[in-house]
Amino acid sequence: MEKILIFVETKGEEVKKASLELLSEGITLAGTGRFAIEAVALGPLAQKVKERLLPYVETLIQITDPLLETYAPEAYAQALAAYAREAGARMILAGATQMGRDFLPRAAVILECGIASDVTAARWLDDPVTFVRPMYGGKVLAEVSFAGSPFLVTTRPNTFGVVKPEGAGGRLVERQAGLSADQVRTKVLRLEEKARERVELTEADLIVSGGRGLKAAENFKVLEELAEVIGATVGATRSVVDAKWRDQEDQVGKSGKTVSPKLYIAAGISGAIHHIMGMDTSKVVLAVNKDANAIIFNYADYGIVGDLFEVIPAMTAEFKKRLGR
Amino acid sequence: MNIVVLAKQVPDAEAFIEIQGGGERLEIEQKFTMNLFDEFALEEALRIRERLGGRVKVITLGGGKATEALRTGIAMGADEALLLDHEAYLGGDGYATALALSRAISREACDIILCGKQAIDDDRAEVGPMVAQFLGLPHVGAVVKLDIAGTTATAESIVDGGRAVVEVALPAVFTCQKGLNEPRVPLITGVMKAMKAQIPRLTPEDLGLAGDQVGLKGSRVRIIKYLAPKKRPKVQLIGGEPEEAAIEAVRIVMDVERVL
Repeated sequence: MEKILIFVETKGEEVKKASLELLSEGITLAGTGRFAIEAVALGPLAQKVKERLLPYVETLIQITDPLLETYAPEAYAQALAAYAREAGARMILAGATQMGRDFLPRAAVILECGIASDVTAARWLDDPVTFVRPMYGGKVLAEVSFAGSPFLVTTRPNTFGVVKPEGAGGRLVERQAGLSADQVRTKVLRLEEKARERVELTEADLIVSGGRGLKAAENFKVLEELAEVIGATVGATRSVVDAKWRDQEDQVGKSGKTVSPKLYIAAGISGAIHHIMGMDTSKVVLAVNKDANAIIFNYADYGIVGDLFEVIPAMTAEFKKRLGR
Repeated sequence: MNIVVLAKQVPDAEAFIEIQGGGERLEIEQKFTMNLFDEFALEEALRIRERLGGRVKVITLGGGKATEALRTGIAMGADEALLLDHEAYLGGDGYATALALSRAISREACDIILCGKQAIDDDRAEVGPMVAQFLGLPHVGAVVKLDIAGTTATAESIVDGGRAVVEVALPAVFTCQKGLNEPRVPLITGVMKAMKAQIPRLTPEDLGLAGDQVGLKGSRVRIIKYLAPKKRPKVQLIGGEPEEAAIEAVRIVMDVERVL
């Protein structure tokens, strides 16, 4: 059987969605009898997280070390690569989150192997196994495979579905990484995290984004209200971020984040290619714009030509009514 | 401070790209520019030099248009440029590219290595962290603020859900994200200088690498074929008064598409 390692990214009592997606794929793959799946977590794990993860796998490997207490790319790469080598893993999978994309390339160098980053589709059972990844901001897709093994793959959040397995599941195996202090030269002085009630943009199922058509920073409250009612995350275009109406973290597009929600509502967004590159893998796109010729309508499934300050509040009211919120 | 900037010439975001030969190759409109994120890297290098002195060297890998990134670098103010130029370098994956670049960097001592967080053509975001690992150096990714004090750097980096402030001993690699700075526009004198600049070139052999360690032959990842992304059907416009349209949109979202 071929061994697949799935790196599990956690944050406090939460497991990153991209990790749960891969674990869900893992259940299907284990079912074929061709693959043995292990989840690998680095550093401390909350009890709740362990209980959440174990139903997905036969084995959850928790690798601990004083140097893995906070994220450090050198330590993470070293610990994961060392275990992958020892376990004789054929594939090492992780979510294409900021963290996954930050340290997996280092692990590839340690293992002297290839990596496919930000993959959006996989054909696990093909020989060789193939993956699809967007290039040129999504204008082209590339089907890729590897010349040898092991290999590493990071998958974009919202690529696969998440299942919720029943039962107590597998066992937890704790291991020490045995890293030495000179292997880690970065030190996190502090984390500045926004008190966010909302899901991170890259993981969100529902996104409401605004552009220049919002006219002023304070008008984003119209989108905030809609987002609040349906549980969406608010995004923004480059021009409103450059105008300091919204934070850099909220930017969707080439120089911001790439998102793949189930529903993307684009309000007052003209549809510059830079923005399209960040949201074109959304499942359903609804655009609201006063200008019937706005380019965004070429990239939308549904469009309303109208004033967003009339349409969006009316949608908020209707969602409220239908959802009973 | 000796500062190295890794830069890449890439098709403009608006360049037209066509898949040809049944997915075998891409035909790309001849509209190129320096990778957006590499411009942040170059600007930051110049600002560090202005504050602390030193030299800025821009390195790129590739044929044809690649030289343009170096000329842009010199026009903006870089002191020197270096081109990894040989047919064998082409078509490489992140690994093969980072191996060659790291060899080129290690020919001279340097304190700071800056590059963009990703190139907007391949969108791999692999080379920065890989170069760091090949050189045995630490890195900080997606940097939006960078302070250098002596042999220590403090970098602010975008992480999921917020920002991390990270301290790191130099030498180190930093991958640059939008927000770090506003890249300058080259002066005409800089452009003149860039046009006349002699750019040294290095072959794989110069770097002590065999032909099968670089480019396509040295790659661990193979592109089997290119595919067109799924095209969205033509937009369905929802008409009527704003309120009617809004109600219809909610119905579609909940009852037709069932995404909520």
